[in-house]
Amino acid sequence: MESSRLKSILFVPLAKIILTHFIFLSSLNGEYPSKPITVIVPFAAGGGSDVFVRIFQNAIRKNNLCPQPIVIKNIAGAGGTIGSRTARDAEPDGHTILCLHDGIYTAQHYGNADWGPADFEPIAATGRSGVVVAVSENSPYKSLNELMEDANSRPYQLVYGTNLGAPNHYSALFLQNGFKNSKFRFTQTGGGAKRLAQLKGGHIDVTGFSVSEYQQFKAAGIIALASMGVKREASFPSLPTAKEEDVNATHSLMQFWWAPKDTPIERISYLQNLIKEAMKTDEIKTQFKNLHLEPIVQVGKDLLNTIDLRSKNLENIYIEKPTTMPPLEWIVLIIAVTCAFFVNRESKTV
Amino acid sequence: MIDLFATPTILGLVLLGTTLGITVGAIPGLTGTMLIALSLPMTFSMEPVSGLVLLVAMYVGAVSGGLISATLLRMPGTPAAIMTTLDGFPMATSGQPGRALGLGVGASLFGGLISWLALWQLSEPMADLSTKLGPFELFSLVILALAMLAGIGDSTPASGLLAGSLGVLVAMPGMHPASGELRWTFGLTFMNEGFRLIPVLIGMFAIGKILQDVTSKDGKVEEVSGNDSAWISLPVWVSNLFNLIRSSVIGTFIGILPGIGANIGSLAAYMAAKRASRNPEKFGKGSEEGIIASEAANNATVGGALIPLISLGIPGSVIGAVLLGALIVHGLQPGPLLFRQNPEAIYAIIGTVLIANIMMFLIMVGCAKWIARLSAIPKKILFPSVTLCCIWGAYALNGMWFDVLVMLLFGILGWRMEKAKLPLAAFVIGFVLAPIAEENLCAGLMASGGSYLPLVTRPLSLCLLICSVVLIIWKRKPKNANTQSSF
Repeated sequence: MESSRLKSILFVPLAKIILTHFIFLSSLNGEYPSKPITVIVPFAAGGGSDVFVRIFQNAIRKNNLCPQPIVIKNIAGAGGTIGSRTARDAEPDGHTILCLHDGIYTAQHYGNADWGPADFEPIAATGRSGVVVAVSENSPYKSLNELMEDANSRPYQLVYGTNLGAPNHYSALFLQNGFKNSKFRFTQTGGGAKRLAQLKGGHIDVTGFSVSEYQQFKAAGIIALASMGVKREASFPSLPTAKEEDVNATHSLMQFWWAPKDTPIERISYLQNLIKEAMKTDEIKTQFKNLHLEPIVQVGKDLLNTIDLRSKNLENIYIEKPTTMPPLEWIVLIIAVTCAFFVNRESKTV
Repeated sequence: MIDLFATPTILGLVLLGTTLGITVGAIPGLTGTMLIALSLPMTFSMEPVSGLVLLVAMYVGAVSGGLISATLLRMPGTPAAIMTTLDGFPMATSGQPGRALGLGVGASLFGGLISWLALWQLSEPMADLSTKLGPFELFSLVILALAMLAGIGDSTPASGLLAGSLGVLVAMPGMHPASGELRWTFGLTFMNEGFRLIPVLIGMFAIGKILQDVTSKDGKVEEVSGNDSAWISLPVWVSNLFNLIRSSVIGTFIGILPGIGANIGSLAAYMAAKRASRNPEKFGKGSEEGIIASEAANNATVGGALIPLISLGIPGSVIGAVLLGALIVHGLQPGPLLFRQNPEAIYAIIGTVLIANIMMFLIMVGCAKWIARLSAIPKKILFPSVTLCCIWGAYALNGMWFDVLVMLLFGILGWRMEKAKLPLAAFVIGFVLAPIAEENLCAGLMASGGSYLPLVTRPLSLCLLICSVVLIIWKRKPKNANTQSSF
């Protein structure tokens, strides 16, 4: 509250001056895009989301689809919320947009962001990626149904490695919601590579991977029990879906493109066409194949339906807060004060 | 493998990558991660093997280049060079900048070669071994590293621990590393990620050092002077052989562990060298063993970090994660199958580690004379340009002015801490380690249902904890408490 008031006093007038100046300039020639289009990627350079957007950047440049270059700005941190917040507050002129996957829904639901899909103009959803549930090859579980039965008869015993508050945490929440009274014991494990290492080392019992991750990791000694799509994954036709295993849960990941609220509609449709054209290029087709992404693109009504459905799915999800964390910050504070006392005494004796 | 590197284009790429890497590594504020992330899109249009060669060469160069500014300016060009500042700078200010550089470069080459051997011959067993470490073991490992802070540099144990725990406290704001909840952010979104490493690091060391020199009233600034040779004779290396091997092995193994990386590798090797040394009192005052330990270990982490990447598809460092992305974009499937499906990619990575280390050595030894003259640049030119690089580096990280502000604030803090004789290296290492410790402890607790018992019932974890306790209570040789801190 404080900060927003401060902001309205300090920055809004300044922003208005810049804004009016800018509108004057751009209405003068009335063209869009009149400068490079910045795509905010709320994760670090080199990560999955970053590579995804760079593939578009590359395809658009190589095929001359846009008179202005696409510029990527990585604003990483805090599960994508710092970048999404920056994009939300950006100038709604179509020159700054955001690309953020399902994390935009989960961060809001988990309580780490008080903004979500409703605070943006959706542009498009691209590239569906399937999700699989996987165990180590030494695991006693041979099917998802067996695993869920165990999570039901022995609640809170099976250790599920996730990235808390991120989409892969929600995959697991959907699973336990979809099967009797099953409960997992969630632990913070981190990104795909860390989940693989911990699964292999027997530190967690089960975890989820994107199809692309699973394709990379499976030879390291892990086995998928089921995929979470509506139908079986094209890359793994023999892998049953969760529904086939009597677990009433579906989940998949998509990359969504968002514009700040009040971005003019004709600029949004320009961007939609740009994304659709890019999806037709050979560059995107090859890279999507490499990454095991389904080459779909949704705009308009389909897009709104998808967003609606994803938001609704979260309504039935209740988050149980994990084990109480030790108050390390206070312990360290006490250590620091004690040391300061000794340092002070030392300097006096010298 | 040999025919791949016999082509001039590939060798040219290794040379280009190594040189660029050394350059950004040497400039405080710019890091190898930035260089590699920015170059990644450029490699999209290259042959997969060429792209990988370029990126890996940059990685090797960047880790090595950090020692230049650490030695000559006492500003670590990369986080991995923090420990090198402790002895490299005192040696350089005592009239031996060439020798300090030569020791660092030679040790880097040795560390690079040992980890290259491990990468080439021992990838699979070592990667498997590393997965045996769960959250409790990783937590205990970090505790061991934190316990080492007590003896860092030339400080008393209490001031080392104080600086370390202040570093830990500064790491607290932001998203809780395990539960993902927000802590101490005061409702400000830009605080959600807390303070980032690069602004804190370059603020503390580079800006802090500039403030210190600019404000010193009596004009008594430690100057690097001298024009000695960077060529280190063989007997020196022979007498340090154990140190070289120990540091390289420590660096390689710590490099394998995901997320722990080069900083801890050089810290652990440095502290081990100090414990084993016959002249521990020299550490922090220009000890050749200290420079060798730090530099051998940080270059060894490069090969180490690549071990899980090529054998399991698990990145052992941030740069490893970027390389993983590069493999996928080039249509290569990282993981155990890569050996069979694309052996040329594996050989390109392994070969580049070898050749880039050798090129790094030749470039740095060949140019040492000129590099050492960097310190002769007048301060009124050097300081503004370093400051500009720092501001640029901090801003470019995320395009946020907040990071620049953080950097400047930590510059002031670093300057004040220096005056109070609190070791900066302990502060920064506490800052780096705190989130790793907290994440692993809390993850372990979540997995154990809240029980702390596994900390002592898991043998490896128990062993690491016992070592930490021994380190803390081990009676240290009484030292002259009033030695002036050169750090």
